Amino acid sequence: MSKLRRILIVEDHALVAKFYRLALERAGGYACLVTEDVPEMLREVEAGRVDLAVLDVSLSETEWEGKPIDGVSLARLLRERSARPLRILLATAHAMAGDREKLLAASGADDYLEKPVYEAGQLVGKVERLLSSH
Amino acid sequence: MVRRSLADKEFPLEESFFEEMKRYLGFSAEDAALLQRLGPRMEKYFPEMAERFYAQIPLHPNAFRVFTGGEAQVARLKQTLQQWARGLFAGAYDAAYAEERYQIGHRHVRAGVEQKYIISAMGIVRTFLSECLLLEFPASDERLRYAHSLSKILDLDLNLICESYMHATMHGLRSLNQQLERANEDLAEASRTKNEFLAHISHELRTPLNSILGFTKLILDGLCKTPAEERELLRDVFASAQHLLSLVNDLLDIGRIEAGRMSLHVEEIDVRHLFDSTLPLVAIQVVEKQLELRDETLGVKLPRIRADEVRLRQVLLNLLSNAVKFTAKGSITLRARAEEGFLRIEVEDTGMGIPVHLRGAVFHKFVQVPAGQSRRTGGTGLGLAISRRLVEMMGGQIGIEGGSSGRGTCVWLTVPLAEQPAKASVPERESVPASTRSAGEPGGGVSGPV
Repeated sequence: MSKLRRILIVEDHALVAKFYRLALERAGGYACLVTEDVPEMLREVEAGRVDLAVLDVSLSETEWEGKPIDGVSLARLLRERSARPLRILLATAHAMAGDREKLLAASGADDYLEKPVYEAGQLVGKVERLLSSH
Repeated sequence: MVRRSLADKEFPLEESFFEEMKRYLGFSAEDAALLQRLGPRMEKYFPEMAERFYAQIPLHPNAFRVFTGGEAQVARLKQTLQQWARGLFAGAYDAAYAEERYQIGHRHVRAGVEQKYIISAMGIVRTFLSECLLLEFPASDERLRYAHSLSKILDLDLNLICESYMHATMHGLRSLNQQLERANEDLAEASRTKNEFLAHISHELRTPLNSILGFTKLILDGLCKTPAEERELLRDVFASAQHLLSLVNDLLDIGRIEAGRMSLHVEEIDVRHLFDSTLPLVAIQVVEKQLELRDETLGVKLPRIRADEVRLRQVLLNLLSNAVKFTAKGSITLRARAEEGFLRIEVEDTGMGIPVHLRGAVFHKFVQVPAGQSRRTGGTGLGLAISRRLVEMMGGQIGIEGGSSGRGTCVWLTVPLAEQPAKASVPERESVPASTRSAGEPGGGVSGPV
């Protein structure tokens, strides 16, 4: 496929989101969309414009249908609505190490990204593997 | 009349106890009959027994300690002793007898007489009564029979009294145990809080550190397109490093406060100067968030106060930054007025506000407004805890209220005015005259055989 791969980034810490975006754009050559707004995410996945979503587990500012929603529930929602197969990378903090497998199962995500991430290559490597697995 | 203490209710004398002891010592109906027959012949020795007994008490300062009632108490003791001795030869050794002896023990426990004195006192009584038997019954056969029964009833009495001591000890151990359990729970709770704090703080420290590492690596890897973009990322790196520094400073401060190593330099300071040097520090954030900063102290003559200027600025800056941080739109207002020897400073915002039930808790270490509301704002959860400790160290107080408009938050603090140095910060302790200490129970303090 020659089309540019597009990645959705949902992360409540602005600088972390910015790092993901720059790393994926510059080191991976992907197009990125950074947002915490669920309706916007749904518009994008329903239109089939997203290949992969990087979702942070704890999202302090994100709400859906009047209630806070975390990365785990968001993963299910996005996958359900996506017009195309959607790869999901769940970003989990170091402290959640024990719950990681549970979170992966509950969200239906393809893989997790262990925070902290500060190597562009590490993030891009994960994303490339997931996108080429189909 | 039998009085019951808390310990009695918790550990009543088991009905079977006395019967069991009688069986154990071989106390029979025959012993009871012998003692009853002996009674009238012993009666005349009781006054001397009481004298002999009392003469021993002053030899033991610890035992004598409970005698604070003077001659009247001594006379009462001697009477009670004789009454007790009469009971020995009464002939009825039933549950009521046992209960009465058991209560004697409790009165001693309450009066603080140590068990060892009870045991040695019983020894004195035993020796004296043996001497009396020797006088009354020179023939050894007859005397031995009486001595045997007397020995048994004295043992039974001592057992009953000592049982009170055992129960009191058990009661003491039980409550000590409860205290230890509570202390243990508190420690576990403290440890949990500490662990949560460590997890939280390591996350908070890592976040800016990641930005610093991530962005510098992007620059070093040549992933920026323009020098302008590099500069932008470097600004993010710089802001993250500043944030990291403030976190580290907070941690050092709270560590210093907790270890009691925070020393303040309290002096007379000018409040106007304090405000003028603090407000500009939040001005940029205020403009960025399009908020309004209202200084209602402008044009008001402010009194001089006694405080550590650097630390008070730190507190004020913390309150102002919080106000800016938690306010999405509206204004931040600074007020100050003298009030009963203190200057009251208020920082009010029109922000998200703090639920009433959390207003006290936010001054505790590591407590932040629940996640979901504050996550994005970051911070250690130490700012207000540090502020509270600093203000208290300066002799003032700090508190939180709802904003005057019904929305937002108003944090106030007080610092002593300069005209009243130190006085307000160190409340004088009321002295309690030693003479008002209770001298023990009147009448019932010491009674019975010892």
